[in-house]
Amino acid sequence: MQQRWAAYGGRSLFVLLSAVPIVAGVSYALLYSLGLTGVMAEGFTLAHWQEILGDAAFWRTLGFSLYVAAVSILIALGLSLALVLRSPQAFTKGELSFFIYLPLSIPAIVMAFFIFQLLGKGGWLSRVSHQLGLISALEQFPDWVNDNYGIGIIVAHVIMATPFFTIFFANLYQNERLGEYLHLAATLGANGRQRVFRVAVPVLLRRGLATVFLYFMFVMGSYEIPLLVGSQSVQMVSVRTIQRLQRYNLGDIPEAYAISVAYTVLVVVLLSGLLWYNRKQMGRT
Amino acid sequence: MSRFTKIALIGLILFPFAFLLMLSVGRQWPYPAVFPEQWSLGNWQLVLVGSEGLGNSVLLSVLLSLSVATLSTGLSFWVSRHIAYHPKREAWLSLAYFPYVFAPVILAACLQFFFIVAGLYGTFGGVLLAQLFITFPYGVIFFSSFWNERLRSMEELVKTLGGSTLQAYAKVLVPVAKGALMTCFFQLFLISWFEYGLTNLIGVGKVPTLTLRVFQYVNEANIFLAALASCLLILPPVALLWLNRAVVFRERIAP
Repeated sequence: MQQRWAAYGGRSLFVLLSAVPIVAGVSYALLYSLGLTGVMAEGFTLAHWQEILGDAAFWRTLGFSLYVAAVSILIALGLSLALVLRSPQAFTKGELSFFIYLPLSIPAIVMAFFIFQLLGKGGWLSRVSHQLGLISALEQFPDWVNDNYGIGIIVAHVIMATPFFTIFFANLYQNERLGEYLHLAATLGANGRQRVFRVAVPVLLRRGLATVFLYFMFVMGSYEIPLLVGSQSVQMVSVRTIQRLQRYNLGDIPEAYAISVAYTVLVVVLLSGLLWYNRKQMGRT
Repeated sequence: MSRFTKIALIGLILFPFAFLLMLSVGRQWPYPAVFPEQWSLGNWQLVLVGSEGLGNSVLLSVLLSLSVATLSTGLSFWVSRHIAYHPKREAWLSLAYFPYVFAPVILAACLQFFFIVAGLYGTFGGVLLAQLFITFPYGVIFFSSFWNERLRSMEELVKTLGGSTLQAYAKVLVPVAKGALMTCFFQLFLISWFEYGLTNLIGVGKVPTLTLRVFQYVNEANIFLAALASCLLILPPVALLWLNRAVVFRERIAP
């Protein structure tokens, strides 16, 4: 009897701490965006949603978040796969197996600060370029932070994601015994290019798809890095939402909550797609 | 991998650390100087004796992260057992992924109202609770693969021999789970230690953790103190990594 109550208690606590905050948060945001709650509430209205969905800046924000996440992850994947496939043992044994973990100890806010000081117009690279005679004035250095292409944001995320994926793929390489598969492929006559692109990369990417996807979502929802090194004219979702919430204009708040709900719907759709794909793959094997 | 490539990679990895350390001991850095013109440990002395309050932020961050990690690890260990042994385990576990649908900062924005109503807005307790919402589900996911039939049999054996549930935890489950508990604790400590957006929004700046200090100094264009606060933020995770390596190494060479 006591055990049954403990089980009920445990599961209730679980629901209370994981599902309830999300359901409460999304419900509140949805009600606010529909004019049903909040200081500006005047009854049910779709005006805020119409404004958001008809606003080109909102779609630019979503598109920019997807673009930054896609480019960052693609570059980080390319670099980490190249590193692991070049020397699979280097990241599981020896000095590099320790050093590769070090970048994971850098929080996003510190990485943003570092990138700002490195790539900014008055940053370290600009100073080195000046000393080397490549530029003669600060203004000649290219806009790599607070720019419309998100270069600073992408570089920061690539620096953070590459070590993570390198560790991940190096362990996967070992656990999946990829070395043996590659040896077998070589015995069957596959050349180096075929071994990499027909065997190693597909195996690693298929096994790591869920992790890659979750990291993609993490980058898409990132806040600190775009806040410090992002542009004001093209913002990422989190930055745009929080800035609208913190403005003095109360009329912006329902729209900020509408963006939150729209972003949640997008993530849920992407997650459902991943789950559907995973099930399909499991059905095949 | 050649020795040169290895050294170049290690150099690249260490560059951000060296760069931040350089700025933390710098004073004057006019353009286009590559290195600061003055070097001083004065910034570091501020942590210990200065009025900048960085020492307080370090203590606050340590206290917050330790509380979050301890609570989340303990609760998620206990709760995950009840989830893992449930016949509909997968369905229950899918709830733990809910918080990751939101970015933490957007979650905080949507929950602000509830924290104001509960009187937790701008308080240490509020930030702690908000961080539990992202660390606790992570802990449950982490421990879900830990529970298995072998552990269940061990637990039942304790009870057959007259032991209570508490004794089963204290004498069997916790000692067996020591490694997993430590790993989970460190990971949750780091999630809390690195958190900025959610802490800023729920704490309204009244819970000045180190991450908030970095942002404050960047806004004030005080790059030297921002670099110093950054170094303080990086220090504990690096120490944990070093410790982990030392323990693993010791275990590997143990007879």
